[in-house]
Amino acid sequence: MALLDFASPPVSSQAAAAPRDTLLRRLLRRPSAVVGLIFFALIIAMAASADIVYPDDPLDMVAQPFLWPGQDAAYPLGTDMLGRDIASGIFHGARVSLLIGAVATLVSLVIGVTTGAVSGYYGGRLDAGLMRVTELFQTVPPFLFALAIVAILQPSIPTITFAIGITAWPSLARLVRAEVLKLRHGEMVAASIALGASDGRIILLHILPNTLAPVIVSASILVASAILTESSLAFLGLGDPNVVSWGGMVGAGREVLRTDWYVATLPGLAIVAAVLALNLLGDGLNDALNPKGARR
Amino acid sequence: MAPFSRRRFLAAASALALAASVGPTHLQAAAATDAPVRGGTLSIILQPEPVTLTPVANVAQPTQVVAGNVFDGLVTYGFDLKPAPQLAESWEVAPDGLTITFHLRKGVTWHDGKPFTASDVKWSLENVWKTIHPRNKALFENVSAVETPDDHTVVLKFSKPSLPIFSVLNGVGAPILPKHLYEGTDILNNPYNNKPVGTGPFVFKEWRKGEYLVLERNPAYWDAGKPYLDKLVFRVIPDAAARAAAIEKGEVQYAPFNPVPFRDVERLAALPNLKVETRGYEWLSPVLYFDLNVENPYLKDVRVRQAIAHAVDKAALAKVVWFGYGKPAVSPIPSTLTAFHDPSVPTYPFDPKKAEALLEEAGFKRGTDGVRFALTHDFLPYGDDYRRTGEFLKQALKRVGIEVAIRAQDSGAFIKRVYADRDFDISSSYNAAFPDPQIGVVREYWSGWLGTKTPWTNGSGYRNAQVDALIERAAVEGNPQARAADFRAFQQIVQRDVPTLPLLELKFFTVHAANLKGAVEQGDQVYSSLRNAWFDGPNADAPKGN
Repeated sequence: MALLDFASPPVSSQAAAAPRDTLLRRLLRRPSAVVGLIFFALIIAMAASADIVYPDDPLDMVAQPFLWPGQDAAYPLGTDMLGRDIASGIFHGARVSLLIGAVATLVSLVIGVTTGAVSGYYGGRLDAGLMRVTELFQTVPPFLFALAIVAILQPSIPTITFAIGITAWPSLARLVRAEVLKLRHGEMVAASIALGASDGRIILLHILPNTLAPVIVSASILVASAILTESSLAFLGLGDPNVVSWGGMVGAGREVLRTDWYVATLPGLAIVAAVLALNLLGDGLNDALNPKGARR
Repeated sequence: MAPFSRRRFLAAASALALAASVGPTHLQAAAATDAPVRGGTLSIILQPEPVTLTPVANVAQPTQVVAGNVFDGLVTYGFDLKPAPQLAESWEVAPDGLTITFHLRKGVTWHDGKPFTASDVKWSLENVWKTIHPRNKALFENVSAVETPDDHTVVLKFSKPSLPIFSVLNGVGAPILPKHLYEGTDILNNPYNNKPVGTGPFVFKEWRKGEYLVLERNPAYWDAGKPYLDKLVFRVIPDAAARAAAIEKGEVQYAPFNPVPFRDVERLAALPNLKVETRGYEWLSPVLYFDLNVENPYLKDVRVRQAIAHAVDKAALAKVVWFGYGKPAVSPIPSTLTAFHDPSVPTYPFDPKKAEALLEEAGFKRGTDGVRFALTHDFLPYGDDYRRTGEFLKQALKRVGIEVAIRAQDSGAFIKRVYADRDFDISSSYNAAFPDPQIGVVREYWSGWLGTKTPWTNGSGYRNAQVDALIERAAVEGNPQARAADFRAFQQIVQRDVPTLPLLELKFFTVHAANLKGAVEQGDQVYSSLRNAWFDGPNADAPKGN
C-alpha cells in the first residue's frame, strides 16, 4: 500500500490535479501571456460567432468590388476583387485556421507522442528503427513535404490537415523520447515494474503525465505553425478553394497589392495576430509549467 | 548613341526608303504619318522563358514571340486577318482549290548569307508543317505534291481542298527553316533550334538562359530600311510585381501577353509614359469556355446545360473577374472571325428564373437544403483569373440550386483529369480560335478526338453525327461560301446543345512605352516581328542594367 501510494498518486497529481488552480494564476502573472490569451480568446470568439454575425456564405459576392475599409458602413473592412465581404471572410477564415491548426496538431501529437514514448521506453532496435524513420521525415523540409502531399492528394481541408499533421510530428517525437529516456530508469518506473504494472500502464499513467509540460508548450507552437503552413499553402494556391481561409485571402489579394493593399493586408494581420497569440501563450505556458520558474 | 540630328537625317532617309518600298498591300501606311527614327534598343518582357526558339514542334507562346522576329513567313496578317505578302509576293488559288501557287520574293537571304529559295519552302512543308507542327498536320495532310518549277515559285497540289491553310502561313504558323542547315538532321534536336537562322528582320545573337536573349538588326533585310531598331533584348522576369515595376520605370518598353495583373493595368494605363494596347491578338482570338461533361448524369440532359448557360452572367464575369478584358461570347466562333461567326445562334441571356424553370422541367427539384444536385468544377490552373472564374461559377450556380465544389490542381493533373481520365463535371479553359474555325474551334466538338486523350480537344465528350459531318465536310470544302454556310450550321447546333459553353472572347493586352511607335500594326503582331517599331524621342538607349 505504502509503496503504491508512493509510486503513483504524487506523480500524476502533480501534473493534473495540483496545478489546476495555480497554472492559470501563474500564467496571468505574465503580461505577454495575458496578451496572447486575450488575442486567442478573441479569435476563438470570432470563429464561434461567425455564423451568427455573418450568417451568409463568405464567398458570396455581396457588394461592388474594391470597396475600401470604411467606405461603406455595411462592409467595415471593405470588399475584395469579386465584391466579397472581407470582414465576413476573416470571421469565417478564423474557423478554418483554428480547425486546421487544432486537428493537425492532434495528428502530430498522436503520432509524435506514440513514437517518442515507445521509442524511449523500449529502446534498442525498436528505438533505432523508429528514430531512423523520424530522421527520414526530418531530412525533408516540412513545408515542401506538405506542399508535395497536398499537390498529390488535391487540396481540401482533410488533406491539408493531414499533410500538416504528418509532417510536423518528428520534433515532438524527439522531445517525448528524450523526456521518456530521462524517466525510464527512474525509481518510480522500477517500482511500478516491481509491482507488476504493464508497459502500457507505466507509459500512460506514470511516464507521459510527467512529459506533459514540454509537450503542451510545443503543441501551442505547433498550432501556430500549422496555421502558418495552411496560410502559406493557400497563398501558393493550394488551399481548399471551397472555403475562405486567411492564407487564401492573402494569396488572392497579392495581385492587387499595388492598388488595393488592404485586400491582402487585413487577413495577413489576422494571421499575425493568431500566430503571435499562440506563441505568446506558448512562452507563458513554458514559464508557468516550469517548476523552477514557478517558485521564483 | 547617335546625335539627334543624325537620327533625324536617318529618319528622313528611311522614310524615303519606306516610300519607295511600300506597295498598295502593305500594312504600315499608318506609321508613315510620322517619319520613323532609326536606332535604339528595345527591351521586351519574355514570360515564361522559352524552351526552344524555333516553333516546329513546340508552339508555346514565348517561343513564338521570339521566333516571329527571326523568321518571316510566306504572309503576315492584318487586323482584318487577311493575308498580306511577306516572303510570298503573290499567290493564286485554282478554281477547284486543288492547286495553290506561291510566287516568292527575290533577293531574300538567310541570316547566314545563303539565298532563300523555293526548295526551303518545299522542304519545310514536307518535313515540318506536314509532320511535326502540332497545329498544321491536319491542314497540310491533303498536300499530295510540292513542285518548285524555279527558285521563286512553289506549287502545292492537293488531293482535297484545304482552304484554312491561308490562316496559318505566317512565320510561326508555317515556319520556313533553312534547308541547308536542317536537311538530313534530327529536326527536333538540331542545334540551330536554339540559335535560329531565319530570314526575318532580326538576327539571333545571344541567349543567356534565365536572364536575357538578344536579337540584332538584320542589315540585309529584304524590306530596305527596316527594321528601325538596332537591337531587341528579351528579358525574363518571373515575378509579376517586378515586371510591373520594370515597365513602370521604363526599363522595359514592350511587354506582350498580359505581363501584369489586370488591376495594375488601370494604374499603368494612367501613366503618361505608357500605353496599353489590346490589338495585335486578332490572329489568336482566344475564347474562354466551360466544358460541361455530357457523360455526367445531370449534365447529359441538354436542359441542365442550357440552365447553366442561363445562370452565368457573362457580362458580369467580363467586368468583375476579367476586369473588362473580355467580351461576352455569343458562339464558339468569335466575332473577330467575321467570315464565319454567326450572331443568330441560340443565345442564353442571364436569367436565373429561366434557369430554375429548365432545371425543374428536367426533374431536378430543390431538396430541403435548397440544393438540387452537386457538381465539381476544375479550373484551368493558369492563374488567379481562372480560379476566380470558378468562384464566380460556384456562386452563379448556387443561386439556382446547384452546389459546386471547386478543385485545384497543377496543369499536368488538370490535363490528365479532363482529357485522359475524364473525371470531372465542369472544367474551364480557353482556346485560341485562329482565323479559321478549322484550326482552333472544331477540335472542341469533333467526336473523332474522343479517346485520343489529346489536350484541348472535345473536353465535353460531345458526340453528334450531324456536327461531325459538317466539320468533316468543311475541312475539304473548296468553295469559301459553302464552307462558311457549313460553319454557320455547325454553330446553330452546338449552341443549341451547349456541350461547351463559350463565355468570353478574351482580350489579351500589351503594355508598351508611349514613345514606342509602330509596335502594334498587325492582327498577328504578338507573334510577328517588330520590324516597324521605332522610338519617337530620346530614350532609345539600352537600360543601364544590360
